[in-house]
Amino acid sequence: MGNSFAMLMDGFQTAFTPTNLMFGLLGTFLGTLVGVLPGIGPALAIGLLLPICLTVNPTSALIMFAAIYYGAMYGGSTTSILLNTPGESGSVITALEGNKMAKAGRAGAALATAAIGSFVAGTIATLLLAFGAPAMADIALTIQPAGYLSLIILAFTTVGTLLGASRVRGLVALSVGLVIGLVGADLQSGALRLTFGNMAAIDGIETVTVIVAIFALGEALYLASRHQFFNTEVIKMDGKAWMTKEDFKRSWKPWLRGTAIGFPLGVIPAGGSEVPTFLSYGVEKALSKNKDEFGKGAIEGVAGPEAANNANAAGVLVPMLALGLPTSATAAVVLVAFQSFNIQPGPMLFQTNPEIVWGLIASLFIGNTLLLVLNLPLIRFWVLLLKIPTHYLYAGITTFALLGAYALNNSTFDLQVALVIGVLGFLFRRFGVPITPLIIGAILGPLAELQFKRALQISQGDWHILIAGGFPKFIYSLLLLVIIAPLVWNFKKKFANKK
Amino acid sequence: MILDKVTKHGKSELAFAGSLFLLGIFVAWDTSKMDIPQGSSIVSPQTFPYMVAAFTSLVGLVLILDVLRGNHGTPDGDEPGDPLIPVNYETLLIVAAAIGLHVILLETAGYIIAATTCFLGVAYGFGSRKILKDFFVSLAFAIIVYFSFTKGLNINLPSGVFEGMFGNG
Repeated sequence: MGNSFAMLMDGFQTAFTPTNLMFGLLGTFLGTLVGVLPGIGPALAIGLLLPICLTVNPTSALIMFAAIYYGAMYGGSTTSILLNTPGESGSVITALEGNKMAKAGRAGAALATAAIGSFVAGTIATLLLAFGAPAMADIALTIQPAGYLSLIILAFTTVGTLLGASRVRGLVALSVGLVIGLVGADLQSGALRLTFGNMAAIDGIETVTVIVAIFALGEALYLASRHQFFNTEVIKMDGKAWMTKEDFKRSWKPWLRGTAIGFPLGVIPAGGSEVPTFLSYGVEKALSKNKDEFGKGAIEGVAGPEAANNANAAGVLVPMLALGLPTSATAAVVLVAFQSFNIQPGPMLFQTNPEIVWGLIASLFIGNTLLLVLNLPLIRFWVLLLKIPTHYLYAGITTFALLGAYALNNSTFDLQVALVIGVLGFLFRRFGVPITPLIIGAILGPLAELQFKRALQISQGDWHILIAGGFPKFIYSLLLLVIIAPLVWNFKKKFANKK
Repeated sequence: MILDKVTKHGKSELAFAGSLFLLGIFVAWDTSKMDIPQGSSIVSPQTFPYMVAAFTSLVGLVLILDVLRGNHGTPDGDEPGDPLIPVNYETLLIVAAAIGLHVILLETAGYIIAATTCFLGVAYGFGSRKILKDFFVSLAFAIIVYFSFTKGLNINLPSGVFEGMFGNG
């Protein structure tokens, strides 16, 4: 623990140089700017800004990233409150209550409780991350390849079956992601898969291309196909983004409870920010003295879920940094950012690149603080962005997404891939298939194969090793629980309905 | 015939599920034809792809059964039971074409032309009909992006037909 603290202080020293602070500031600004735009969630925002980050040195780039991360999250909640178009599943709840508050003329209070709640949750959760991630990395060092594989399979199952309404469709998305992950040369033997003699495909498909294309191009095609363009009916905001004493009194407990719900559910792979935000909303509704206000704009319904969402985002970084396992689309992009600098997150990260990882964690604190300072006063500027006409907005998003896909390797092949994956993104949306499992499959598929092979090499080809040992047994028991519990739940519900 | 009961949307969903099943078969076929370099390790590079192929076909099959049983996916942004919004192929194709043109034009005509075309096309697909105004907005967008990337960030973008006009950008 003491060691973590000293390392964190070193991290602050890294982050607190004028240059790095400037990058942090720039990241906060850009992150919010892109995150505020309707239709852009945090994962896409980071993906789009990746080429820009790659032009500076790794430390500054990752600091900029941390700032973009929180900036994009915050920008997203602003859009949800004022426009009722949640850019990602974690903001759905915020849109639910926050938009009602805004319509009732309380936009300022909703924005303030979201901002301050995000700050409180982000700060506490980042602190937990700073101590939790190295501890988890220490444990992870002892995990064998078979155990690692069991963790990946657990992540696959939770992300695939807990997201969205239909479990089959989650697994469909996962399987397509796994196929995407297969493309290219096999890491160990160099055997070519699904390349069809295309030289550019040998290195595999870029994850950023997948993310940018499936979110940006997929969404643009989908909205065009519905010919249903939301009216940019931005709710007017009177007065400042601030809250009264009464608002504070009603908000601080939900902030803390939201943090307590969001962080742990991010650390264990529980399938993104949907579950914790819904859970927090439910808790606040149950505990509130003003139950009748829920659904009509209760401030607790914004404060709790917003805090849960932010704490969850920091929680997801724990397995991402300590195990190299991303369990949300946003964490996946951050992983890619690390990999672009040839840094591999995982148990060794804290030993091989301490200055970078602690610099990053320190920047999360700084970015979070900068956001609070910047955003409440700048809110009027962000609101202006919401008034961009939809056709220009999507024209800009599409063109910029294609630029992002191209600029990574200056490769036309990446653009062709982007087009195909964009069409896939359209089909997924049309047929109610969730997006995140595809991204997780594409990233973790190759990793699963690597661990699978390592395990079998250790055992000289004996498949029993995959379930030998206490750790894999424990994880697979958890897995059974994840699969069986919802079945029992459904059965109970059906039974109750019949009665 | 079992298909008679399936709605039009259900049929296109069946086609989607079916192509997923075929994707699995296809991956298996590609894997079977793989050139395996000499001296491969204990685990063949074919093992994992075969597992992925089997999994893909399996979930494809389960999805087919799910659709046949009348369970349809809810389109993104809709609630279960909402009336289905039909696909507007005209606008969909316009936007897809705008993206496709960007892909084709980028290395032939250069970034500025590709991005202007794409921006203009998507704006048109999204219902804007002020073509002249949109053209200038698109052009301005493309030019600003081009110069801030090539000059500001030193990220190279194809200059295409303007080769040599902007110095060594």
